[in-house]
Amino acid sequence: MNLKTKINLISISISLVITLLIFSLITIIIGQNPAEILSIILNDVFATGYGMGQTLFKATSLIFCACGLAICFHAALFNIGAEGQLNAGSFVIALIAVYFADLPFPVVFLLCLVSGFIVSGIFGLIPAYIKIKKDVSEVITTIMFNFIILALVNFFLVDFFAVKSTMRTEKISENFMLTKFSDFMPFFSGSSLNISFLIALAVAVISYILIYKTKFGYELRAVGFNKTASKFIGLKVNKITLIAFFIGAGLTSLSGINFIFGYKGFYEMGFSSNIGFTAIAVALLAKNNPIGIIFSSLLFAILEYGGLSVNQQVPKEIMLVVQGVIILAILSVDKIVNNYFENKKDF
Amino acid sequence: MKAVEFKNISKNFGNFPALTNVSFGIESNSVHCILGENGAGKSTLMKILFGMYQSDGGEFYIDGNSVKFDSPHDSIGMKIGMVHQHFMLIDDFTVLENVILGNETTTGLKINFTEIRSVLNDIINKYNLELDLDSKVSDISISSQQKVEILKLLFRDSGILIFDEPTAVLSPVEVKEFFKIIDEFKRNKKTIILITHKLNEVKLIADRVTVLRKGEVVYEEDIIDYNIDLEKLAQAIVGESRVSIAVDKSSENLTNETLIQLNSINLSRNNVKILDNLNLSLRKGEVLGICGVEGNGQNEIAEIITGLEKDFTGDFKNNNVNVSLVPDDRINKGMIMEYTVGENIYLKNGRKFIASSAILDDFSDKTINEYDVRLTNNKASLGSLSGGNQQKVIISREISAGNEVLIFSHPTRGVDINATAFIHSKIIEERNKNRAVLLISSDLDELVSLSDRLSVLFKGKIVKTFDPEELASYRSDNKISLTPDIEIKKEKDNQLFELLGKLMIGMAD
Ligand SMILES: Nc1ncnc2c1ncn2[C@@H]1O[C@H](COP(=O)(O)OP(=O)(O)OP(=O)(O)O)[C@@H](O)[C@H]1O
Ligand SMILES: [Mg+2]
Repeated sequence: MNLKTKINLISISISLVITLLIFSLITIIIGQNPAEILSIILNDVFATGYGMGQTLFKATSLIFCACGLAICFHAALFNIGAEGQLNAGSFVIALIAVYFADLPFPVVFLLCLVSGFIVSGIFGLIPAYIKIKKDVSEVITTIMFNFIILALVNFFLVDFFAVKSTMRTEKISENFMLTKFSDFMPFFSGSSLNISFLIALAVAVISYILIYKTKFGYELRAVGFNKTASKFIGLKVNKITLIAFFIGAGLTSLSGINFIFGYKGFYEMGFSSNIGFTAIAVALLAKNNPIGIIFSSLLFAILEYGGLSVNQQVPKEIMLVVQGVIILAILSVDKIVNNYFENKKDF
Repeated sequence: MKAVEFKNISKNFGNFPALTNVSFGIESNSVHCILGENGAGKSTLMKILFGMYQSDGGEFYIDGNSVKFDSPHDSIGMKIGMVHQHFMLIDDFTVLENVILGNETTTGLKINFTEIRSVLNDIINKYNLELDLDSKVSDISISSQQKVEILKLLFRDSGILIFDEPTAVLSPVEVKEFFKIIDEFKRNKKTIILITHKLNEVKLIADRVTVLRKGEVVYEEDIIDYNIDLEKLAQAIVGESRVSIAVDKSSENLTNETLIQLNSINLSRNNVKILDNLNLSLRKGEVLGICGVEGNGQNEIAEIITGLEKDFTGDFKNNNVNVSLVPDDRINKGMIMEYTVGENIYLKNGRKFIASSAILDDFSDKTINEYDVRLTNNKASLGSLSGGNQQKVIISREISAGNEVLIFSHPTRGVDINATAFIHSKIIEERNKNRAVLLISSDLDELVSLSDRLSVLFKGKIVKTFDPEELASYRSDNKISLTPDIEIKKEKDNQLFELLGKLMIGMAD
């Protein structure tokens, strides 16, 4: 393990401990026993195959989105638009699967993968293009595009594609549904965990290789570290920006595969329940390392799923607080730990 | 009376000893030069004195008192000031704002500008700094920016002034000016510590020298009445391994094939003319030197040729060739500090899509061996290398890209005498391989010994170009020795240098 990884693990661990302390403090203030709350959460998640399956299902979508964001973040491109990007792609995925119901599954599935990726990717390209041409911060444009995309999807859905008096598309053919884990592992029975999870693991590994082991990854991170130097070294910074945004945004569409092909069978307004934003925290916690993202996605999935189960004792918003605290903790602890090692250098 | 006394200072980075038992003293009210190879530990020692690093062993004394600095805050409190190689200024702020920024004397919420202004103007006049408090830092020359750093120290009334390679960024005329300021410091009872690689400067300015090699003191000498044996000093710096490279600079391969052509190029920024109807052509197999004070359009020429600058009018022709650039500012433009040596080179020159560790190691080993890069270990990030060693890596990367046109902007800035000779030999080697080389520098020795043609740039215009015959008529002999030239200049060279010096500041025709 190299030094950088060691430093990262130390600061992540410290942040998690701090978060746990603050979580305890808040629950005590609310008048609950933190140990009890924790045990309910853990029990709910880990005691049953169903709980575990649901947690992994939630983690799947987070892994897709966070890996996409990590690719952008490595190039210092602050894509805050995953929520919109993933909705655009997912909507198209559902429509294609619905309207090509007669084609064989592999064809439809591939078509959905590609077109979902492209549609989400295009909504990443637009802010990237504006940034390159007009030097407008991608933070602002991607946030704005969240609103634009959701409004557009809403319009098309309601006016053209929705099943009457619902906010969802029609169901895709039953034959198209992906294999669920419970189909071959009864342990998970009842949960929506499906083979998208395996795809997510593969995406994480591939993203890891892309970022850390390829020419493109080196270029991507170089742009993130020092854009001016990258230009002088001869990298095509604009091209790299566009590609990063396209791949990054494109990957978020896969969360739609998980939901539509793996769970509900249709696109529904609001299905994403803000994972596009949660994924920002997930990526941040993992220091944008896709392998780390697998674990931070699991952690956030546990929080989300567990949050539901302690709704009786504490408001489920407490989980949002916990997520926020993790981010703040990691940002500040990271600085401190890094400075510490900077000064010491006695390792 | 010693202003500073080091006693057995040691500093390790990991298990790499950057300094080992360094002991020496610095007389109060003197100019003390610290010399040594790239990576010898000069900057590290000064950072310890300034409180940026803490030593692992030993101690030091200021005016006889043992001190311990946890941060620069402590050393500033003891009236110690440091001008780093890389200036710490905010470009968008004015001179005045930069000086005020982070200064304790500005207590409370309200800053008394009139009072501060008058204090600063007094300092500026006293030391002849020629600064306008209201100009923006981004609009003034490098040498003026250096003066802003000096002004910052003087405003705090620092008594011990540390300069890390201050002359590396200055043209000869500016060096003279800078030394006048140093003299004035001495008259005002200040103690000056100065790091440099240029031996003739030592002779001019130093009262005493200390030479470090591989983290140890290897040589010390007082200089009285400019008396010092520079040959002996050079030997002390490099140890046994003094490089002496004589390159055959045949003129046979001077073809007339032009690779790069700039015709009537005009370029303005914020309504200031940077390039003024500039004409330049670069041919295969030649070194074209561009001589000038920094900020007269050199960077813009380099950026137009590399294709980074497109905002100009006029005619730019690139004869379908690739261009490599060693930029003037290595920290901001030259490298990715977070990457290792191998990764920095792979980033530009890697052909394979997958970056296997074999490929990275290969890139890194080649450069480290060929250029004698000194680093703590081969996986060290480039940011941790000493300035001169970073420069070697950048040069290696750009040369090994194998492009037809190479632009070197201040290639030996901050580089020690051995490495300078080596880099010069590499530049000539590229030229002999029929590459076109554009050499931008303010080091006249370098320009005159390497250039086939030499153009003088002043205010965005080429005011004079010496063709090979004309240069030869000035040169004392036609064989260039790339051994660092520390002898007294020959009569003819001096004439040329004087002429160039005048042309550079627009004083001759
Ligand atoms: N922050 C750091 N981390 C690790 N190694 C370092 C660090 N700073 C310096 N070093 C190492 O210590 C050695 C001495 O570096 P230093 O910068 O003091 O050299 P120098 O004498 O100033 O050289 P130069 O003339 O090139 O500026 C070098 O080998 C360098 O790689
Ligand atoms: Mg140094």
